[in-house]
Amino acid sequence: MRKRRSKENEDTEINITPMLDIVFIMLIFFIVTTSFVKETGISPKKPVAQTAESKPRANILIGVDLDGRIWINNRQMQVNQVRQLIEDAVNETPESSVVLIADQESPTGVLIDVMDQVRLGGIIEIAVSAEPESQ
Amino acid sequence: MRKRRHRPDEAEINIAPMLDIIFILLIFFIVTTSFVKEFAVDMSRPSNAPPKTEKLSEVIFVKIDASGQIFVKDRLTDVRAVRANIESGLAANPESPVVVAAARQADAGLLVRVVDQARVAGAQRVSLVALVE
Repeated sequence: MRKRRSKENEDTEINITPMLDIVFIMLIFFIVTTSFVKETGISPKKPVAQTAESKPRANILIGVDLDGRIWINNRQMQVNQVRQLIEDAVNETPESSVVLIADQESPTGVLIDVMDQVRLGGIIEIAVSAEPESQ
Repeated sequence: MRKRRHRPDEAEINIAPMLDIIFILLIFFIVTTSFVKEFAVDMSRPSNAPPKTEKLSEVIFVKIDASGQIFVKDRLTDVRAVRANIESGLAANPESPVVVAAARQADAGLLVRVVDQARVAGAQRVSLVALVE
C-alpha cells in the first residue's frame, strides 16, 4: 500500500481511527450496561397496580406460577433452595435486586415464604411484578 | 513516523487481530445485553431496622382470608373500597402503619392490589405477614 502511495497520489487509504473510537465506546457501553438477568422461564398473568414502577436494575427474577411452584432460571426450585441461590447471587453482584413475578392466582403463602428466603439470603430490595394501570 | 519508515528493521504493529477480538467482544455484549422491562410494586421493608412492636390500636390491620374476602379493621370490604378505608384510618393518625395479613391460600394478585391501594392511600409503611390459622 505504502509503495503505491508514492506512485499514485489519488490512491487514498481509509482512516479507521474514528471507527475504532466508536467501536470502543460501544464496547464499553455494552460491558457496563450488561447485567446477566436470571429469567424465570414462565409468563404468568400479573395483577394490575397503580403504584407499579419500572425496575430497570432488577437482575433476579423469581417466578411463582398458578400452583405455587417456584421458577428461577428456567428451572423449578424448592423454597429451601432459594436462599442458597440468592446468597450466590449476592456474592456475584452485591447490589442485586429481586422481582417476584407471581401469577394473580398463585397462593400468597408461597410468595411470603419466597420473600422471607430472599431476605435471609441478604437482599432487601424486593418487588412484586405488576402491570401498570393504563391511565 | 512515516518519515522514519525507510529503515528496514522497524516493524509496524498489526492491529487486525486486535480489531477482530474487539468486534467479537462487541457482538457478544450486544447479543447478551437484555434490558429488563419489569414493572413492579415495591414490597421491601422501608428500613433495615428490626420490626418494632406497634401499639395494636394504631395499626391499620388488613386481613385477606382464604376465600379472598378483605377485612379492614375487621370490617368486610371490597377491594375497591380498601383505599378509602385506609385513607380514613390514616386521617386519624397519618403515621400509623398498615399491616396486610394474608391467608396462605389467598390469591397473590389480591395481596398485590391491596398493598398497591394502601400505597395509593398514602401509607408510609406497609408490612406483610402471613396469617396463622
